[in-house]
Amino acid sequence: MTTSDGAVIGTTQVYGSAPRNRAFNIVLLAEGFTAGQQAAFNTAATAFVAALRATPPFDELSPAINVFRVNVSSTDAGADDPVSGGGTGATARTYFDATFGGNGIRRLLLVNQTTALQVAAAQVPEFSLVLVVVNSTIYGGAGGSVGTYSLAGGATEIAIHEAGHTAFGLADEYPYYAGGNETGHDHHPNVEPGEPNVTVNSNRATLKWRWAVASTTAIPTMSNPDCSKTDDRPSTVPAGTVGAFEGAHYYHCGAFRPEHNCKMRALSVPFCRICRQVIWNRIGPLGTLPARAKTPISVVARYPEHLDVFAVAADGRTMSDWWNVNSGWAGWFHVSGGIASPGGTGAPVTSIARYSGHLDLFTVGADNRVYSAWWDASSGWSAWFRIGDLVVRPGSTVNVVSRYDDHLDLFTTASDGRTMSTWWDARTGWAGWFHVSGGVAAAGAPVTAIARYRNHLDLFTVGADNHVYSTWWDDRSGWAGWFRLGTLTCRPDSTVTAVSRYPDHIDLFTTASDGKVMSTWWDVRGGWANWFQVSGGVASAGSPVTALARFTNHLDLFVIGGDNRIYSTWWHDTTGWAGWFNVSGGVGRAGGQVAAIQRVTNHLDLFTVGSDGLVCSTWWDSEGGWAGWFPLGIT
Amino acid sequence: MTDPAQPPGPRSVRLIFTYDGDEVRLLQQQPVDVAISGFDLPQEQSPGHHVEVRGADDRVLSRVPIRATMTTSAEVFPEDPSDPITRTDLPRAQGAFTVVVPVSSSAEHVAVVRIAAPTGEPGVEAVGTTELARFPLEGGGPR
Repeated sequence: MTTSDGAVIGTTQVYGSAPRNRAFNIVLLAEGFTAGQQAAFNTAATAFVAALRATPPFDELSPAINVFRVNVSSTDAGADDPVSGGGTGATARTYFDATFGGNGIRRLLLVNQTTALQVAAAQVPEFSLVLVVVNSTIYGGAGGSVGTYSLAGGATEIAIHEAGHTAFGLADEYPYYAGGNETGHDHHPNVEPGEPNVTVNSNRATLKWRWAVASTTAIPTMSNPDCSKTDDRPSTVPAGTVGAFEGAHYYHCGAFRPEHNCKMRALSVPFCRICRQVIWNRIGPLGTLPARAKTPISVVARYPEHLDVFAVAADGRTMSDWWNVNSGWAGWFHVSGGIASPGGTGAPVTSIARYSGHLDLFTVGADNRVYSAWWDASSGWSAWFRIGDLVVRPGSTVNVVSRYDDHLDLFTTASDGRTMSTWWDARTGWAGWFHVSGGVAAAGAPVTAIARYRNHLDLFTVGADNHVYSTWWDDRSGWAGWFRLGTLTCRPDSTVTAVSRYPDHIDLFTTASDGKVMSTWWDVRGGWANWFQVSGGVASAGSPVTALARFTNHLDLFVIGGDNRIYSTWWHDTTGWAGWFNVSGGVGRAGGQVAAIQRVTNHLDLFTVGSDGLVCSTWWDSEGGWAGWFPLGIT
Repeated sequence: MTDPAQPPGPRSVRLIFTYDGDEVRLLQQQPVDVAISGFDLPQEQSPGHHVEVRGADDRVLSRVPIRATMTTSAEVFPEDPSDPITRTDLPRAQGAFTVVVPVSSSAEHVAVVRIAAPTGEPGVEAVGTTELARFPLEGGGPR
C-alpha cells in the first residue's frame, strides 16, 4: 500500500482565477478512487467549493481563493478499515495509504502526510492548504498539516474546521478533551496559548481580542460555575456578542473563547467574529488596497531595513502594510478593527515610532473623536482607544510629534475650528485637550507641528482668514500667541508643511488660493523671509506639498500637480531650485497626497493613491534613479 | 497608473520536513513563486514551533510559524454535529509539515525551533527557544 498502488492523473483548477502566487490555493487530493471513479472525486471537489463559498468569511474572500483538484487513481476503492478501530477489517491498496481507525478510533482517518505534501508541491507548488478526499461513506477525517475527510454527509465541515488549524493557526475552542466531564481538565494551566482565539487572560485592558469587545459587554461574559464539568448553559448575551466565555482549549475553566459558539468549537456553526478576522488577515493581504481617494498615507521607518505604511481603505478601514528587507511587503491588514471618519476628505491614520519596537497610531473615528492604538514588539497591536472627549471636525487630521521617547504631543482641530492639543507622557499618561493660544483654523486646515529641540515646538495652520499662522511653545515661556506669516492667501484646506534642515532653520511649503506651490523660510539670524512660488509649480486643489530634507543643504518636494500627475523638485544650496518633473509617469488622484521617506542615505520611498484608486509606491536611489510605480500589496 | 511589475524582493522556498518526536528531517527544498504575507511573518515573538531563516552569522532574518503539527494528540469528529469534537492522545508526534520561507541574499540556513509559551497575561515576551534542527539552504550564502 504505497504510491505504487496508483498514479497521479493530473490537476484541474475547479475554482478561482486569482494569480497563483498571490492567492490562497487549496489542493484537493483524490484518495481511494479507482481510475473509473474519478467522476465521483470531481463531484466531491465541486461540493467542497460550494461548502467553502457558503462559509463566511470565505464567501467575501473568494476572489483571492483558488481550488485545485488533483486526480489520483488508486488500485482499490476506499480505505483500510481495521477491526482494531471498530471497522470491518477491509483493506484497500491506495495511493496515500488512507486508513480509518487511527489510534483505535474508527472516525480518525489518516493518510501518509509526506506523500500528500510531495504530490501537492509537485502539482501546485504555490499551494496553501492540502486536503485529502477519501472515497468512503464511512464518516471520518483528521487534521494536522494535511486534512482528511471522507464522502460521508457533512464531512466537508471537518475540512473547513481543520483548515482553521492548518492554514489560519486557530485553536480549538471546545472546553473538553474527551468529550465532556472528564477529570484532569478542570482548569487550564496558567500558560497563555499562542493562538489568537483562546486566552487564559480575562483582563479587559489586555484581552487578545479587546478591539472587538463592546464597552457594554461584561468581561468575563460567562464564567463556569462548576469547573468539574463543562458549562452547557445557553448564552446569556445575544448571538454574535464578542466577550470572554469561560471554557475553551480543552479545559472547563481558566481559558476563554471570544463568542459563545464558533466553528472552532462545534461543527455546523459559523466562525466567530475573531476567527473570521484571523482568516481575513491571512487571505486579505494577498490583494491590493483600494483606498479613499484623498487618503493621506503615513509611513514610518522604525529602523533602516523596515517600513510601516498606514492608509485608509475605501470603506474606512484603518489599514497597514509593512516591508522588511528580508521578507518584502507583507500585505495589507486591518489594524484592530478601526474605522476612520469619512467626513471631509476622510481622516487619515497618522503614525510615529518613538523607538524601534513600538508604533503609535492616531485617527479620528466615525464618531469624530480622536482615537489611538499602538503596536509593541512584545505584545502586538492594542485596541483603538479614545483620547478624551474632544469632538473634532469630521475627517480631521491628528498630527503627532515626539520630542523625546517618553512623550507625545498631538494637534488637531475641534468641530468649531479651534486649534487643539494634548500630550502623553510615560509618567503621567494622557493630559486633557486644551485650546492652543486661542487659534481657529480655516475649514479643512490641519495643524502641523515640528520639534526643533526637545523643549520647543513650532505650530502652523491656515487661519479663518486663509492666511498662514504660527505659534510656538517653549518649556521656559509656554505658548506664544498666534502670529501671521506674511500676506499669502491660501486655500482654506491648505496644509502648511514644515521641515527643519537644522535646528535654527525652518522651511515652510503650502499652496496659494490659486494652487501655486509656495515657500518661505525662517532662520534664527534673519527671521522670516517672504513667500515665493517654487519653480512655477501648481498643485491640484487640496493636494499638500510633501517635503523631505535628505541633508542639511538639500530638500525634495512632492505634490500632485494641476493635471493630477505626480511631480517632484529639489533644492540644493549650490544650485537652488530645480524644475518640476513627473515621477516615473505617475498619475495620482485630484487633491491627493504623496508620502515620502528616507530610510537610508540616498534612497527615497514614495506612496500615493494612484489614478486607479490603489495605494501605490515607487522608490529612488542615487545609483538606479527612479523605479516604476507598483501597486502596494504583498511581494 | 500603476505598473503591474512588482519590485524585486526576496525569493521564496517551500520546505517539506518529516518529524518523529523532536527529530526533524528536511525532505525537500523547492523554490516557489509565492508571496508570503505578514500573517506568516509575525513581528512579535510568539510561542510554538517555527522555522527560522538565518544568515551565516546565525542572525534570524525571518521566522515562519509551523501550524497544527508536531502534536501528540489528534481530533476526532462526531458524526452527529450536535455531539462534541474530542481529542485522543497519540503514542508519539510523527508526520510531515511544510512551510514557505522568504530567502534573501543574506539567508544561509534554516532552523526548526520551539519557543516556549510565557505564563500569565499576554504582553510578556515568550521565553526559551529550543533549536531542534538546522539545515543549509540550497544555493544559500552570499550571491
